[in-house]
Amino acid sequence: MVSLSTENLQIGYGDKIIVEELNLNINKGEITTIIGANGCGKSTILKTIARVHPAKSGVVYLDGKMIHKIPTKEIAKKMAVLPQSPEAPSGLTVYELISFGRSPHQSGFGRLSNEDKKVIQWALDVTGLSTFADHPVDALSGGQRQRAWIAMAIAQETDLLLLDEPTTYLDMAHQLEILQLLEKLNREEGRTIVMVIHDLNHASRFSHHMVAMRKGKLVKEGTADEVMTHEVLKIVFQIDAEIVKDPRTQKPVCLSYDLIQKEHQTAKQKVVNI
Amino acid sequence: MNVLKAKQNKFIATISILLLLTIILFIISLNLGVVRISPINVLKTLIGMGTARDQLVLVDFRLPRMILALLIGAGLAVAGAILQGVSKNDLADPGILGINTGAGFAVILFIYFFQGSMNSISTFGTFLMPLFAFVGACIAALVIYVLAWKKGIDPVRLILVGIGVNSGFGAAIMIFQLKMNPQNFMQAAVWLSGDIWGANWKMVGVLAPLILVLLPFAIYKGHILNLLNLGDQVATGLGVRVEKERRLLLVTAVALSGFSVAAGGGIVFLGMVAPHIAKRLIGPRHQLFLPVTAILGSLLVLLADTIGKNLLTPTEIPVGIVVAVFSAPYFIYLLMKAK
Amino acid sequence: MRENEIQQEGSSLPYMKKRTSLKGTSVIIFGLILIILSMGLSIAYGAANIKLATVWEAVSHFNPDVTSHQIIQEIRLPRAIGAVLVGALLAVSGAVMQGLTRNPLASPSIMGVTDGAAFALVITLAFFPAATLLSLTFSSFVGAGLGVMLVFMIGAYSKGGLTPVKLALAGVAVGAMLSAFSSAIALHFQVAKDMSFWYAGGLTSMNWGSVKILLVAGGLGLLLSMYISRSITILSLGEEVSKGLGQNTLLVKSLGVIVVLVLTGAAVSVAGAIGFIGLVIPHITRFIIGSDYRWIIPISAVLGGLLLVLADIAARMVNAPFETPVGAITAIIGVPFFLYLARGERRGL
Repeated sequence: MVSLSTENLQIGYGDKIIVEELNLNINKGEITTIIGANGCGKSTILKTIARVHPAKSGVVYLDGKMIHKIPTKEIAKKMAVLPQSPEAPSGLTVYELISFGRSPHQSGFGRLSNEDKKVIQWALDVTGLSTFADHPVDALSGGQRQRAWIAMAIAQETDLLLLDEPTTYLDMAHQLEILQLLEKLNREEGRTIVMVIHDLNHASRFSHHMVAMRKGKLVKEGTADEVMTHEVLKIVFQIDAEIVKDPRTQKPVCLSYDLIQKEHQTAKQKVVNI
Repeated sequence: MNVLKAKQNKFIATISILLLLTIILFIISLNLGVVRISPINVLKTLIGMGTARDQLVLVDFRLPRMILALLIGAGLAVAGAILQGVSKNDLADPGILGINTGAGFAVILFIYFFQGSMNSISTFGTFLMPLFAFVGACIAALVIYVLAWKKGIDPVRLILVGIGVNSGFGAAIMIFQLKMNPQNFMQAAVWLSGDIWGANWKMVGVLAPLILVLLPFAIYKGHILNLLNLGDQVATGLGVRVEKERRLLLVTAVALSGFSVAAGGGIVFLGMVAPHIAKRLIGPRHQLFLPVTAILGSLLVLLADTIGKNLLTPTEIPVGIVVAVFSAPYFIYLLMKAK
Repeated sequence: MRENEIQQEGSSLPYMKKRTSLKGTSVIIFGLILIILSMGLSIAYGAANIKLATVWEAVSHFNPDVTSHQIIQEIRLPRAIGAVLVGALLAVSGAVMQGLTRNPLASPSIMGVTDGAAFALVITLAFFPAATLLSLTFSSFVGAGLGVMLVFMIGAYSKGGLTPVKLALAGVAVGAMLSAFSSAIALHFQVAKDMSFWYAGGLTSMNWGSVKILLVAGGLGLLLSMYISRSITILSLGEEVSKGLGQNTLLVKSLGVIVVLVLTGAAVSVAGAIGFIGLVIPHITRFIIGSDYRWIIPISAVLGGLLLVLADIAARMVNAPFETPVGAITAIIGVPFFLYLARGERRGL
């Protein structure tokens, strides 16, 4: 079943077109990752779906309905968005931050109901932040801070989670921790997750569906086996990649790679070599 | 759950202490003045058993002025808190954004052109100047908003435009003020320094309902301010209609500061300092932080007015000056203590 | 690919530099020409109108027997030069201030300089009504120094050290406090109107003595600010980056504060608190030339000088024979332009 889809989406800043003619289908209950080089329009797509940046033309459908026809609060009950490196006001505690995730479900003064409190506690537990509940967010380490933001997003209790580079600035262990948390949410709660991610091997390992972009256009989508190939990576990143199977997960892994030189340069180099 | 409880308790404790201080100050302030009235006589007068003279001093002069001080303080402080939240700039306050100067300019025009009708205590005179101030504040705010609008309001642009408008009105004030005769000049100078004047029950009757409606509304919108503080993207993701809510909050802040300035003159610094202190006391969650800001603002202005009236009697020091003299050192202390 | 990028960068960088320096140089030259023209106008215009030719004569072949030469030499020339210098000093001081605090709201008046000077002045006016002009100048300079010292010390002795935000906040707080004291004293001792003229700023009492003060302070301040200009550019990338790039940030900030003190102190003590220039000229300059302080500082100086000399002419013309406060004129000329820029393309600090 399709959770989110785009139809002929065209996005740009001013006269500059960033994304053209994008037709994307996000399936319910799957983890979808978008990969691509810097500036290929990955984050822009997320921003448009998250209704932060309006599209030039085309439509985004959420559960089959045109997203711009749905009241924004209704959307917030179905879709949570975590932008790249968000910032919390100084002094705000983890608990307070997570409680803000409940706001789409509240009305009036923003008083927390017992249901709200339960969800917040669950979000604290699941992200392993229970002992930090009363710590200010700006006093946490990078990994803890990111978990706090994810906790806020999951406290929103939406079927769909959009995350823009949730693992940037984190070390290897913390990256894995975040991704395993997302995988758990997907497996145990059936949450649909869409994320932009830079580490190809993580994308391959954790996603059901991969979308590869280049210069605003969709190059290839499909399972990790279909997307993580020598040919696709050559087009998307201009790299000459060595793909092998991970003996533990049976997923394709990019083992080693080199930049592909532009042809005239290689030619020049050859001349020099001779 | 305990976390929330702890914060709630701290909130209740903070509010209670501030309220208690305000009440104590209120009682002290009732006793003080050119005519000292003992606490017992104050009580007697309030239940209608005092002398005619006490009745006049207390009920007709002192009480309305003190109530105005409370209202003005709360209004300006909360307006400052909202502006800081919306613009995401710690230096924002109604004074810096040109709203005060807009009101100030209107008042200067009023004094310049209609001097004379002011000294009479006619109903007309009492209400016309605040009305001018309020209209001035609104015009300034409108000018700022229109000039800052460009497919939406960008916080940085809002502040920059505010600075520009502020300087423009400031220049205009200067030109007219220097053309005034000494008496009018003094009056204008006192007003610009912040002064609770025209303190009577009619004024209270006008201001109280307005501020008492706007304050709860601002606190009601506190949860929106929380979300706006997380950045436009996160706020949108959480279902906030960012542009609309920001406009609504700005209008609220302008109305609050406009009414307050109309009755209290150009009290600067309060709108900046009260939210800062409140934030240090209770943290940045607006549901807790806005009420604390409001009471703190009230307390500060009442304190300043009491001191200003009594320190150098019979000279009255404008309340805005006292606010700055007392809150600035505390603010500096907080600044030095913070990491 | 990467080589390609490097090559591109390599080729675009000198090009960019060339364009900036071409633009910068032409703005400076053009500005200086305009300043000289406006100075000529400023000298020619006044109660006794003097021909431009006479102005030139008075400068090139001074004849003490000609009255108009006397007027030019003793009154109008120092006034025109003084206006240019005061404008330049205030603008540079504002540019340095904004660079150091990384806050677009920062201006000399926010560092406690102006309020400190006003405070010292109001005390002198209130308690020594017979004070001479020179002692008033001196006292406001001392006041400016005390104000800035206070702000700087609060920043330096606070727990987290001297962060830009803290500097700005401390400046506002100290400024508010000092100006409150000044207002109270001014209202109590009935010197508010004298003070108000000072606040409005004025170039009426400009003489060769004041020009000398401005020249010495301005020369020193400008040299120092050019010396730290590169460091300020780097500092605007943030404290950590700039430390990482090997900057002694504390030294840069201290020198910056000294620059602000010297420049604003001198300007304020001879011409009163002329607002707006220090706040707005740096913004206008940045809109024109970008974020390199090696260009921002000299161009701010030129534009600041130009604005003030023009404003001074306008101040005398608008409501002749009375003088309109020049601070109000600078604002009226600058505000619309500033608003136009603020609405346009957004540039960082």
